Amino acid sequence: MAPDDPTADDSAGSSDRRTAIGPVLAPATDTTTTATRRTLLSRTGAISGALATGLAGCLGLGGGGDDEEQDGDYGGRQPTVTVEDPPNAVFLPTHREAMRVGEPVTAGEFRFVPMLSYPHPFWTIAGSDDAAVERETPDVGRGVHMMITVQDRETGLVVPVDEGIQFRIRSDGERVGSPVSPWAMLSQEMGFHFGDNVGLPGDGTYEVEVTIPPLSVRRTGVLAGRGEERATGTFEFEYDDEFRDQVIDGIDYLERDRWGERGALEPMGAGADGSDGSDSGGSDADGNAGHGEMDHAHVPYATVPAVDAYAGTRLVGDASSGGASSAGADGEETAAAELPRSDDAPIVAVLFETDADADESDLARLAGDENRTQNPEQYLLVSPRTPYNRVPLPDAALTASIERDGELVAEHELEQTLDSEYGHHYGVVVSGTGSDTSDSESSSAIRSGDSVIVSVDSPPQVARHQGYETAFLEMEAVTFEVPDGAEGGDTGN
Amino acid sequence: MTLPDRSALSRRAYVRALVAVGGGAALSACLDVTRDGDDADPVPAGTDDPDSLPARQHAWNEFSARDEDGNVQLPEHHALVPLSLASDAAGDAEGNNGDDGTTAPSEDDRQTTETALRTLERAYEWSHEGLVFTLGYTPAYFDRFEGSLPDSVDLPAPEALTAREDPAFDEFDALLHLASDRPDVVLAAEEGLFGDRNELNGIDLETDLTGVFDRHDDRRRTGFVGAGLPASKTDVPGVPESVPEDAPFLMGFRSGFARTQASEDRVTIDAGPFAGGTTQHVSSMDIQLDVWFGQDNHHQRVSKLFSPTHAADELVGEVGDELADTSGVTDDGIASAEAAAREHGVVGHAQKASRAREDGNPPLLRRDFSTVDGDRPGQHFLALQRGIGEFVRVREAMTGADLDVSSANNGILHYLFVNRRGNYLLPPRSLRALPPTAPNS
Ligand code: HEM
Repeated sequence: MAPDDPTADDSAGSSDRRTAIGPVLAPATDTTTTATRRTLLSRTGAISGALATGLAGCLGLGGGGDDEEQDGDYGGRQPTVTVEDPPNAVFLPTHREAMRVGEPVTAGEFRFVPMLSYPHPFWTIAGSDDAAVERETPDVGRGVHMMITVQDRETGLVVPVDEGIQFRIRSDGERVGSPVSPWAMLSQEMGFHFGDNVGLPGDGTYEVEVTIPPLSVRRTGVLAGRGEERATGTFEFEYDDEFRDQVIDGIDYLERDRWGERGALEPMGAGADGSDGSDSGGSDADGNAGHGEMDHAHVPYATVPAVDAYAGTRLVGDASSGGASSAGADGEETAAAELPRSDDAPIVAVLFETDADADESDLARLAGDENRTQNPEQYLLVSPRTPYNRVPLPDAALTASIERDGELVAEHELEQTLDSEYGHHYGVVVSGTGSDTSDSESSSAIRSGDSVIVSVDSPPQVARHQGYETAFLEMEAVTFEVPDGAEGGDTGN
Repeated sequence: MTLPDRSALSRRAYVRALVAVGGGAALSACLDVTRDGDDADPVPAGTDDPDSLPARQHAWNEFSARDEDGNVQLPEHHALVPLSLASDAAGDAEGNNGDDGTTAPSEDDRQTTETALRTLERAYEWSHEGLVFTLGYTPAYFDRFEGSLPDSVDLPAPEALTAREDPAFDEFDALLHLASDRPDVVLAAEEGLFGDRNELNGIDLETDLTGVFDRHDDRRRTGFVGAGLPASKTDVPGVPESVPEDAPFLMGFRSGFARTQASEDRVTIDAGPFAGGTTQHVSSMDIQLDVWFGQDNHHQRVSKLFSPTHAADELVGEVGDELADTSGVTDDGIASAEAAAREHGVVGHAQKASRAREDGNPPLLRRDFSTVDGDRPGQHFLALQRGIGEFVRVREAMTGADLDVSSANNGILHYLFVNRRGNYLLPPRSLRALPPTAPNS
């Protein structure tokens, strides 16, 4: 049973925020300790300064005394509980969020769904070491956590990469605060979305203009050539007691002893029973290879295809490497369990080739128009994902090294790509008969027996909600073997 | 015009607010507070000998303060005053007059303009303690003339420079940039040219600019730069308490080092009738400052503003105090911008922008400053360069569309929202009063 008032639980209370940061993110040196303390102070300043003192003062909204700043509009009812000593892996958070979901909004070739909740803690990332991760702790409760999930209208594919989306908020035609660049974020219930805590001066009706810049990520298939125009769309929302009650009363606490357990909440709207017992394991094996979209009460959820849904030759990884030794947690018994993991992220690697009839069209599509004239022979697709729910892990930098008989024969920087069939992945055209490919080293094709070592130059630069903040950070390289049957470009002419 | 509430604000915040409001009442209020404060020193007087002044309007460096590392310190207080020719048919708010409404300025207007500007130079020493200023002209201004500008002047109409922005453009005729360490001088100079003052710093005003130019009050911009000024703005919504005490810019770090700035020579037009002039780009942007200070830590800020190496090796200090006359971006750092993007997942703004150096020399002379115009944090990014094409090239390097990095970690792009852009020709001083497209011909 969830405790009636989890905030009353001293050991998990919010007073010691360092606990919240956890061992991986703990300050490493004295200087960082200072910086951490100072930024904690500055966070207080940012929220209470801007909201309570600044806006409230200017708009004549109450005095903003200390108590009021502490409790804010939510009366201090937001969950501030944290998981102590979380594992260096995906883990169950303390609660399920409640949120208000808006109607989908059309913006050019895109459609987005707005979602609002109370201001949340989350973790921002700029780099890969400890100091590059920072917990954002909203200390005052006047405002919202504002989120959108963006979809391509034609394919339904959720846009899962950070492209510089902007929010501009107005009330009665007047601008409210600075424009906001929401963070690209991962949450267990919502998957990939864009969001940020946004301060509001008080109750009322707000209008949000969302700007989606042209996509710059490589796109293949139907997606090529789509999303080239900047698009805007607008939604409105009420900020009032009713809203706050809805997003607070709907919070669903997990049983205390499950907090921090390895596992993940089911995607929003997936598990209707809502019982704590069925929330882990996600939907690993449901074989939903579709367009990476699941329609849960019209909130699109970004997924990548199940392991066996790729038509090419699946490279065989060493499932005992990269943290997979503990991958059996929660008894998932799927193909995913055989995947090698890197800091808890299962990684799929697939080779598409010309001479395998079945996937020839896949190869042409994935190689893209830009490589058509070069007669591409192979495409290497690498898809890191969350261990539960198959959420793509975007905005990382991956390199594939090809080794043959222990010798390095080629190294390829993989390019983040959105494909209309296989969705988000990192890929590279490995060989082509045209000689002037962008990567001249790529002349040697991948053959059966080769080792493909996928190294993570930088981990997914995506902000994390609770349960994801200790995983996918220090990501080790994983090694795959090319099985027999992958003929390689040497026979492909 | 409503003046800010003195009792609610610190002295510095109050003075800043007065500069932002502008006008005669603001000036006298400003004088009241500054007289009984530490700024009560007399303002150094100017000169009767115009030939003793530099031939370039943008010759400010020699007359500016330097910090202990020898870096030029931009004057602390700034006003950008947008102007349209009064002789034109009443323009709209953007200064658009259409082809029909525009007329070439008369010789009288030229005389009046030059006389008024010379009065400023007589009243105030050409220095940061007195007043420095430039008068620049937009491509829209030059449209009224028969011929076009010579090839030696690279002054295209402003345009959007990134895919994510949708800026408005400065399409009025001219921009007067006033700068001084003395907020009262910035205000008084503007009042002298456009208000109802009869004297400036003891010098009688023979004429003013009201008959020649109309001001666009709604486009007027102000700002500040200097250690301590940003931290005095925390009364403004969106300016967090955590802005460091010694920061010269709102984003919290020193900028504009001797070795990361172009020299005035480097940005000066070297041929043609406008030789001795320069071009100016002004972009005005919002900054989501509460996110920058509230959600990123110092390490992340240094990574994004300078480079990940700066953060890892702690090269910067709290506000840049560890740096001397350079940003610390090395040739290696520049060359590795692409690799840094992949290896660290983040690339620094300075690291990216410095990729546009030519033979190791930065092409831009940045004279940007912070602002709280409209009661929100922002930056007026003002840069001088020989031609606008150079600005565009540097801005492309800063945008870094070629880099494999998420938008949030691509320098400081995530925090900036460009609202306006304008391009200007700053003619040499001899041609600053309403120049035609082809002077001396
Ligand atoms: C709020 C906005 C901005 C802030 C806070 C900022 C801050 C900085 C800082 C701290 C540096 C490194 C120190 C130095 O060398 O000065 C720098 C360098 C630089 N910035 Fe910015 N900047 C801003 C906007 C811009 C914009 C809009 C441009 C336009 C292109 C730009 C161009 C440059 C250039 C060219 C350099 C020097 C590169 C070199 O060393 O060659 N900055 N900036």
